[in-house]
Amino acid sequence: MYSAKSCLLLLGFLLFYVIYLLFGALVFSSIEGPVEERVRNDILTMQREFLNQTGINATALQDFLVKVFSANKYGVSVLQNSSVSSNWDLASSMFFANTLVTTVGYGHSTPLSDTGKAFSILYAVIGVPFTMLVLTASVQRLMYPLVYAPVALFQRSGLGPRPASTVHFALLLFVLALCFYVAPAFVFSTIEGSWSYLDAVYFCFMSLSTVGLGDFVPGEQPGQKHRSLYKVLVMGEYWARLLA
Amino acid sequence: MARFQEAAGKVSWTGLLVLAHFSYLLVGATIFQILEREAEINNRHHFQLEKLNFLANYTCLDGPALERFVQVILDAWERGVNPSGNSTNPSNWDFSSSFFFAGTVVTTIGYGNLSPSTVTGQVFCVFYALCGIPLNLVFLNQLGKCLTIHLGRLERGLLSLVPHKQSVEVLAVGLFVASGSLLFLVIPPLLFSYVEGWSYGEGFYYTFITLSTIGFGDYVVGTDPDKHYITVYRSLAGVWIIFALAWLALVLSMGSKLMESAMVLTRPGLRKQQAELEDGSSSGKLEEELGQRPAQSNI
Repeated sequence: MYSAKSCLLLLGFLLFYVIYLLFGALVFSSIEGPVEERVRNDILTMQREFLNQTGINATALQDFLVKVFSANKYGVSVLQNSSVSSNWDLASSMFFANTLVTTVGYGHSTPLSDTGKAFSILYAVIGVPFTMLVLTASVQRLMYPLVYAPVALFQRSGLGPRPASTVHFALLLFVLALCFYVAPAFVFSTIEGSWSYLDAVYFCFMSLSTVGLGDFVPGEQPGQKHRSLYKVLVMGEYWARLLA
Repeated sequence: MARFQEAAGKVSWTGLLVLAHFSYLLVGATIFQILEREAEINNRHHFQLEKLNFLANYTCLDGPALERFVQVILDAWERGVNPSGNSTNPSNWDFSSSFFFAGTVVTTIGYGNLSPSTVTGQVFCVFYALCGIPLNLVFLNQLGKCLTIHLGRLERGLLSLVPHKQSVEVLAVGLFVASGSLLFLVIPPLLFSYVEGWSYGEGFYYTFITLSTIGFGDYVVGTDPDKHYITVYRSLAGVWIIFALAWLALVLSMGSKLMESAMVLTRPGLRKQQAELEDGSSSGKLEEELGQRPAQSNI
C-alpha cells in the first residue's frame, strides 16, 4: 500500500516537473531567441565586412576561429601575450578546487590534461561528500548561537515559543538576505567593472544555488588588481553564504 | 567549567573539520597547479604560434585589428552564438534547447555553454531557479524513496534465499551500487563517445561532471554544430540525467553517512554532545553530566 501511494505521488511529481520544465523552455526561448538571432546576424555581417576589408580567405579565417574557440574553451585567454596571469596559479587553482567540491562548477577554467581530468574525478568523489559533512557539522555548531540562544532570549522577554520562532526566523532571513545577497552584490558590482548591480545579484544567486553557469565569474577581468587575494576572499565569502 | 569543557570539545571538533577541509582544498590546488600549469603554458604558446602564422600570411592585417575582431567573435561565442558554419545553424534557444537549458538550471548542473544574455532572461532565471531547485530536490527525493522501496523488496527476496540479515544488506547495497554504476556510469559514456566522437575517458569525465552537478560545460552533449542528432537525443540524455542523479544522490548520502558514523565512532563522547545539542537548552543536568564525563576521559 505504501509503495503504491509513494509511486503515485512520484508520478504526480514527475508530471509537475515536466510541465515546469516545458514552461521554462517556453519562456527562455521566447526571451532569448530573438536576441540571439540579432547577435548572430550582427556577427555574420561583421565577419563579411572584415573579410572584404582584409581580403583574407574565408576558410583560412574559419580554421583560425576554430583554433581560437578550442583554445578559449579551456579558459586559455588567447588575446593577451603570455605575460598575463595564469589560470592555474595557486589562488586560482584553489578557487577551482573550491568550485569542484561545492559542485558549483563555473567552467571558466577546466582541466586540460587527461591526468588533470582523472584527478578531478577522484578529488570530487572524496571532496563532495566531505564538503557536505563539513557544512552539516558547521551548521550544527552554529545552531546554538544563531538559533537556540536568540529564540530563548525572545521567549524570556515574554513571547510564546511559536511567535518567538517565527519572529526569529523572519529576522534571520532578513539579516541573511542583507548580508549575503544585497551587500556582496554591491561589493561585486563595485569591484568588477563591467557588472551592473543586477548582474552581481544574479551571480550571487547562481553560485549560491550551485548552478554556477559561469557567465559571470569574479576575478576574471583582465587587469584585475590583487587577483589572488580577491579570489581567496571570494571563496571565504562563498563559504559563509553556504553555511547560511 | 563543565560547559566550557563541552563547548571546547564542540569547537575543536568542528574547527578541526573546517581546517581539514581547508587543507584539502590547498592540497588539491597545488596538485591541480602541478598538473595543469604545464598544459596551459603549452596551449598558450601553441596558440600564439598559430596566431603569428596567420598574421604572417596576411600582411595587410595588423595584430590589434585581428584581436578586436576575435574579441567580438569570442563574446558572441561565449553567449552560445557560433559564427563558424552557415547561417542555417539551428538556434541555441529553440524549444528543445531551451528545455535542456531549463533542466540544467533546475538540477543545478549549470553547464554555462548557454546562459541568458538579456536582463529579463537573467531575472527570470533567478526566479525560475528559486522555485525549480526545491521542486527538483523534492522530485529526486521522492524518486529516491521509490528506489529504496524496490531495494527493500530486493532485500526481502534475497532474505528468503540467504537468511542472514547483515550479509543480505551488504549484498543488496552492493548489487544496487554495481547495477547503478553499470547502467548510469559505464554504459552512457560508451554511447556518448560513440555519438559525439569523444574518447571513452572524455565520455566518462563528462558523465561524472554532469552527474555530480558540477557541470563545467567544457563537454556538453548535443552541441556540436557539425553533427546531426536525432530529435529525442537530448531528451533521452535528460531522462538519463534525472534517474542517474537520484541514484547518485542515494549513493552519496550513503557514503557521507558512512563517513559521519566513522567519525562519531572514533569519538564516543561526541554522540552524547550531539544529542544534547539537538535537545536544546531545555536538557536536564543529568545529561550534561553524562556528556561531560566521556569528553573529559577523551581529553
